[in-house]
Amino acid sequence: MRFSEAKGRKVVSTSTADAVGKVDEFVVDPKAQAVLALVLAKTDSGHTLRWVDIAAFGTDAVTVTGADKITEADEDVAALTGKDHRLLGKRVLSTAGDELGKVSDVEFDGESGAVTSLVLDEGEVAGTRLVGVGSYAVVVMAE
Amino acid sequence: MRTSAITKRPVVTLDGEDVAQIKDVVYSAGGGAVGGFTLAGRGLFAGPLKQGLAWSSVAALGSDAVMIADEDALEPTQSVLDRSASTGGSGGDILGSQVLTDSGTDLGTVVDVIVEVSGADSGQCDVVGYEVEASQALGTKGTKVLIPLPDAVAASGEHLIVPASAKDFVGQDLAGFGAAVEAFRAQLRGQG
Repeated sequence: MRFSEAKGRKVVSTSTADAVGKVDEFVVDPKAQAVLALVLAKTDSGHTLRWVDIAAFGTDAVTVTGADKITEADEDVAALTGKDHRLLGKRVLSTAGDELGKVSDVEFDGESGAVTSLVLDEGEVAGTRLVGVGSYAVVVMAE
Repeated sequence: MRTSAITKRPVVTLDGEDVAQIKDVVYSAGGGAVGGFTLAGRGLFAGPLKQGLAWSSVAALGSDAVMIADEDALEPTQSVLDRSASTGGSGGDILGSQVLTDSGTDLGTVVDVIVEVSGADSGQCDVVGYEVEASQALGTKGTKVLIPLPDAVAASGEHLIVPASAKDFVGQDLAGFGAAVEAFRAQLRGQG
């Protein structure tokens, strides 16, 4: 699944069948090379849904057991949230110091949350090569 | 690569933060290698930084960025300068120096320095040649040519002395220059 497809997907509570939010952004932990949490829009309280608290990432909706899973960002999530840690649109540098392009989309595993690949303007980079995400660039292992 | 192409390049950590940009190259080993870099802040109006970057702390010198592990790789500029100077010679001020052969012919003035990273793991950043504005002696006065260097050069800040045979290995562009440097150095070793 890609970030671009998943963004805007509604989040539904399985206990009340209410829509409790909408996927707005992805918080990626570059060390784990996986999605750590989702930032939601249109929620009642809090904006963060940790990946481990997701019941299922379906093709039409993301389900959670209850609205209580949506919380304020914890320290670790907050540290990786925001423009500086966003992948989309950012330049990609290899550890050898060569620019590879810009991130146009990110492919991830709907089960585990693992980042499987970064989609660049030209070509793809395997998610396992992800090293760091900062304000200037996304750094990936040189081939 | 030309050192003029290295200056202004961002210094980026593996976490993707641009912590500085290259201001100038610090030469060590009497001008035979790159000892490190002085740095400037990022952005149009940022001034020079008090922190420098020693070559030993560089993770990779790429075509778009200089990579470092993290901000701890930076150290006070003075210590980078001290360490480079202590390896002998007056490394700085190569640009504008007159290149003389050991037989006393003026080859021109240095307008750029050509470096090459040798060995795996960024072993050393060697100065392999100079781009000079050619003098009469090269028969192409006024044009820019590349002169290969031996492993060690004598530099005073005013003059640089190269073996007379360097003249025979002058190149016009960077493509193929690496081979010319190899051939030149092999020939020097043959003589020695």
